[in-house]
Parts: sequence; C-alpha cells; structure tokens
Amino acid sequence: MSPRAAGTAAGAAVVSGPGSPLAELARSARIVVCCGSGGVGKTSTAAAVALWAAEAGRRTCVLTIDPARRLAQALGLDLLSNAPVPVRAKGLPARGPGSLDAMMLDMRRTFDEVIERYARDDEQADRILANRFYQRLSSTLAGTQEYMAMEKLYELHESQRYDLLVVDTPPTRSALDFLDAPDNLNELLDARAFRLLIAPAQRIGRGYLRGLNLATTAMTKMVRRVTGSELLAEVGEFFAAFEGMYDGFKERAGLVYDQLRHPSTAFVVVATPDGAALREAAYFAGRLAADRMPLGALVVNRIHQAEPVPRVPAAARRRLAAGGADGRLLADLLELHDGLEALAEAEQRRVRDLLATVPNLGVVQVPLLADDVHDLGGLRRLGEHLFA
Amino acid sequence: MLEVLDQARLLVVTGKGGTGKTTVAAGLAVAAAGRGRRVLVAEVEGRQGLAGLFGRRVLEHSEMRVAEGVNGLAIDPDESLREYLARYGFAPLARLLSWANLNRFITAAAPGLGDVLLVGKVWEAATREARPGLAAYDLVVLDAPPTGRVVPFLRAPETVAELARVGPIRHQADRVRDLLDDPGRTAVLLTCLPEELPVTETLEGVAALREAGLPVAGVIANRVTGDRLGGRAGRLAALARDPAPLAAAAAAAGAGLDGEALARLVGEARDRQRQVARERRLLKELRAGLDGLPTVELPFLTGGVGGPGEVRALAAHLVPPEEATARDDRPPARRAAGAGSGGG
Repeated sequence: MSPRAAGTAAGAAVVSGPGSPLAELARSARIVVCCGSGGVGKTSTAAAVALWAAEAGRRTCVLTIDPARRLAQALGLDLLSNAPVPVRAKGLPARGPGSLDAMMLDMRRTFDEVIERYARDDEQADRILANRFYQRLSSTLAGTQEYMAMEKLYELHESQRYDLLVVDTPPTRSALDFLDAPDNLNELLDARAFRLLIAPAQRIGRGYLRGLNLATTAMTKMVRRVTGSELLAEVGEFFAAFEGMYDGFKERAGLVYDQLRHPSTAFVVVATPDGAALREAAYFAGRLAADRMPLGALVVNRIHQAEPVPRVPAAARRRLAAGGADGRLLADLLELHDGLEALAEAEQRRVRDLLATVPNLGVVQVPLLADDVHDLGGLRRLGEHLFA
Repeated sequence: MLEVLDQARLLVVTGKGGTGKTTVAAGLAVAAAGRGRRVLVAEVEGRQGLAGLFGRRVLEHSEMRVAEGVNGLAIDPDESLREYLARYGFAPLARLLSWANLNRFITAAAPGLGDVLLVGKVWEAATREARPGLAAYDLVVLDAPPTGRVVPFLRAPETVAELARVGPIRHQADRVRDLLDDPGRTAVLLTCLPEELPVTETLEGVAALREAGLPVAGVIANRVTGDRLGGRAGRLAALARDPAPLAAAAAAAGAGLDGEALARLVGEARDRQRQVARERRLLKELRAGLDGLPTVELPFLTGGVGGPGEVRALAAHLVPPEEATARDDRPPARRAAGAGSGGG
C-alpha cells in the first residue's frame, strides 16, 4: 500500500495532498532535473518519471551523466551514446504519440562539440582540441562536467525533438556546480588575467596597477616552478587559439542558465529516509532556492512501513516466548514488528524535520520495494508509487 | 579485515555513494584504536561527514582528538594550497593577490593540483615521524572520494607529474606512489550494500583499482538485514496459508491479536525473509565476482541515524569485543580498548 494513504501504523505519514506533485510535472514540464546524493535511487526515479511521461503520450528523453552507466542498467541498455537512442523493450515504443529515448552524456565529446560549434573554422577547432591544456580543462575543471550536461540538455531542448527532458545529475554535492560553472568557465576563458600570466610585459592594459604587474610576474615564475614550463606554453597556445570564441560561449552559457530558471523547468530532489541523505536533500533544496531555481518536488525512496498491530503486553510476550514453537515464533514476529515500527517512525520524523525547513515542497514517499529496479517492469512499478 | 586493521599504515575507504563509506571509515578508525593503534581519520571532500559521527559540529584542517586513540582531520583544499605555497616560499605572493584569484590561477593552470595537495597531505600524515624511527600515527584512515572518482584522485600526483616533469610536484608524486602502491603499507577497502547496482559498481570499482595497480584489500558489505527468523521460512509459509496454529498460540498466551493482526505480522516477516534471501543472493554474486578477496558483513543499524553510537556499534562488529583486548604484544603507546567496545 502507498505510504501516502492515511492512517498507517507508523502514524502521521507525511501526506502531499491530492495527486502526486510529480504527475503535474511529468505532464507539463519541459525539463525535469533530478538531484540528490548517491545511492538514493535518483537514476531509477529519473527513468521512471521519463517512462511514465512517455506512456502518458509525451515524446520524452532521459539523460544521465553518471559514469557508472547505471541508467543503462536500469533501462536494460548495454551502451548509451552521446546522442539519444530509442529505448527498445517490451511495450516500447509506446502506443500513441509518446516515445522514450535515453542517452548517456559523454562530457568530453560535448565539450568538443561546443568548441566545434563556436570555432571560426576547422583549423581553429583542431588547434584547440589538440591542446593539452584544453584536454585537462575539459575533464577536470570543477563543474565542467555538470555544465556540459546542461549544455547538452539545452541543445536537446532547442531541437524541439522532445516534449520532456529528464536529466539525472551526478551523485555528489558538486552536482549543482553547474549553477556556478557558466561563471567559472567564462571567467577562465575571458582570462585577461591569464594573458597577463603568459606574457606579462606586453599585455598589461591601462587599468592595471603596478602591484598586479609585479604579482603576475611573480606568479609566472611560481607557476613555472611548480608545474614546469611546458604547461605554461600549452596554456598560452590555448588562449591564443581560443581568441574570438569567448563571446559566443558566454552568450550560450547565459541561455542555458535562463532555461534552468524558467518555470517550465522543475528540479526534483531525491533522497532516502536515511539521515545523511536527507541532510544532503536539505542542502540541495537550499542551494536551489538561493539561485531561485524552480524546485518541483521531494521524492523519498525506500520508506519503511509498519501496519497497525495491537500492543501486546509484556506478560503475554513472556508467555509466548516460553511456549511452543509457534508461540516463540510469534514472539519473534512481534519483536520484528516493534523494530519496523520504530524505524518507520524515525524515518517519518526525519522527513518532517526536513520539510519544516523547506516551505511548500510537495513530497512523494515511495515504500521500500521488494525488488531492485533494473528493467522497465521495475520502472513501471516504481512509477505506480511515484505517481499514485 | 583484522589483518589490515593491525598492519596497514594507510587504509583508503571508498565505495559507491550512499553505501556508508564515511561511517565505515569512522568505524574502522575506532576499531583500530581499540586494538591499540594510534589512528588518524581524515576526510577530503569538504563534506564534514566525519564531524557528526564523532559528536562534533565540524572538524578542522588541523588534527584534533575525536575519540579514544583517534584523531580527526578534515583536509581543506584551500588550506592545503596555502600550506603548499608557504612551504615553497610564496607567502608574500599570496598576500599580494586576492585568494580567489590565486586559487583560480593555480587550479586552472594545473588541473588536478587540488587532488595532488589533498593526497599529499594524507601521505604526509601517514609517513610523519613523531621522532626519528617512531611514526606519528600507526594508521591513517582516509574517507576517500567515491568509487567513480577514487582512481583519478589517488593517481592525481602521477597525472600532474606527467605535465610537470620537473620541480617539487614530480618529486612528491614519486614518494606518494611508493606508499600507495605498497600492499605492505596501503590497503584499499570498498564499502558496498547488498543491492543490485552497488554490487555491480563495487565489482567495477575493484577492477578499476586493480588495473591502476592499487592494493585492494577487501570489501565491506554494509547494512545487511539481520535474519532472526532463519530456518523458519517454511513454517511462516505454512502459517500464511493456515494461521490457525498461530491464533491458538496467541490465544493461549492472552496476546489479544486477531486474525488480521496475525496476518500482518506474518506478512511483515515474510517480506523480511524475501529481503534476506535477496541480499544473500546478491552477496553470493559479490563474493563470486571478488574471487577470493575478503568480505566483511556489517548489520543494518536502525536506519543510519549517524552518530557516535552507530560508529561504536560498527567498530564492535568489525572487531568483536573479546578480540579488541586480546592483543598485548604492542609495547608503545598502547591504549585501553574501551573505545572499540560498547553497544550503540
């Protein structure tokens, strides 16, 4: 039974009101971004939302940037590519107008595509792609991966091939680094400072103070000393090659950010009733609110439930424990039930505590399911709880 | 698991997100301290995950005592960079430029340098000597990044050193590698849950770590459901079909349970049995895939409240109390075993 129904024994289950808040999102949103810490069922939730929307008649695509290829497993696919592929399984493609595609983001490939798009010509693109500093930058700068996911998301959104895009973020706090990434990347690529670093004597503009001049000269020395001089040459070549591409890049980043803030986007925070996962969920909700991103719903997976059983007095329990095999079994069953009830209550308390910090957040609670979700059948069963 | 707790100088604890990596790292630290070792437990991701487990709000970038025989440390990337710059004589420069600018310069000019500094700090603590010939710590437990990122993290010194063929980074990279690659001093442990995707990811993680030449020492299967009804599944199935004997037992004891309540109790127990059976199957798959690598099971403890009680309870499961006090052959700085026992 659904934990959202009234009157469970664990008492005062958090109820989200009539209809799942996810149903509205899956019917009308254009973009759903799932975030949350690792191991909370985020990938399965994203896939189940996408499947439900597809079966409700929308052209849907689910994207993951998770390197462990979990979505691939959840969807029963062996390989995802950097372009959406139709999910082929029993019952799919869906009857009617709906469809479900899936893709796993190749972050590096996406960055390369961005470079190719904004380069003047093939020669400029090739010079950048071959640069060792670019190769490091494209795979290691904090938030780059997340930002590239948003870039791909935006590209698919612009293509209008889909009614709904569902994206699964990486399982870390840095999942929301993409909110900063446009700024970081822009500052880096704008990089007047970097040009100073590379050629401090020639490039210093009018506005720079003498102190900064000295500092950058010293900086150049230090970077040479710390990293070796070859790297610095690569950095110089990178910025030379990048000349003129900056404006297109910056404009694009702004568009992506605006789309994320648009009311047709919804962020879904996914958690389990585990203390650490709920603390992470609170962090994500706070972070999204601070950036005024549209927070759609909280999904709490793997809720334990205990149905009501009359309290059995201690004396009767002792008689059971001292009785025959079935009596002892019943005493054990009661103890098991007590443990389950205590766990269910503790979980509800933690969920309520979280909700108290995030006003007006719709919540969907999904009970601990009997089986891991690893195929479309599992996703549909999960969907029944998500959209009940 | 006991061997690495007693012998390793550096325990690297990784695992898929959500598998209890940080709690297990804390439990391992307390368990090793219970066996008389002087332990440092360190985190590197700026999450402050360890603090609450030791009943504190935050851990600092300096080592502080957090439990009997255990020091705690939250290694901060910014602070590590400051220390690094100070060591190489760049403190005046750091004062001249704003910190944010300086940091951006350096991390962009040498991506991965942040990880290099974090790994370097761990290496420093693991090899530090209190006085010549006496290690400052017997064991450093590292709450490392999750499985997907742990290899690039541990290999960051190598990666950066490829770019920087000269200078202090190259020099340090070699020494870090010596420690990390040495199965006599370093042991990598992975936390796992008895669930399908974590089992798959653990097997992938073990393969990736081995391929990188890192010494994988074992897997800790966390939050394994207890099986208190073991051997009675058949009886439960029979009672689900015909609850009359259970009703008779309840009536005889005056338990006041009607047929509906009994059916619920049996239903819950059978759900639990199915859960146990599924976990058994997955743990069997895990062991088969690990091909002889040791695995340790830790029980599900009241839903991950996360605090000193849970850490003590995990430590007690890692080292049963009778074994915690068994070692008396370590002369220097042996601690009382108290920290490792206790119920939680």
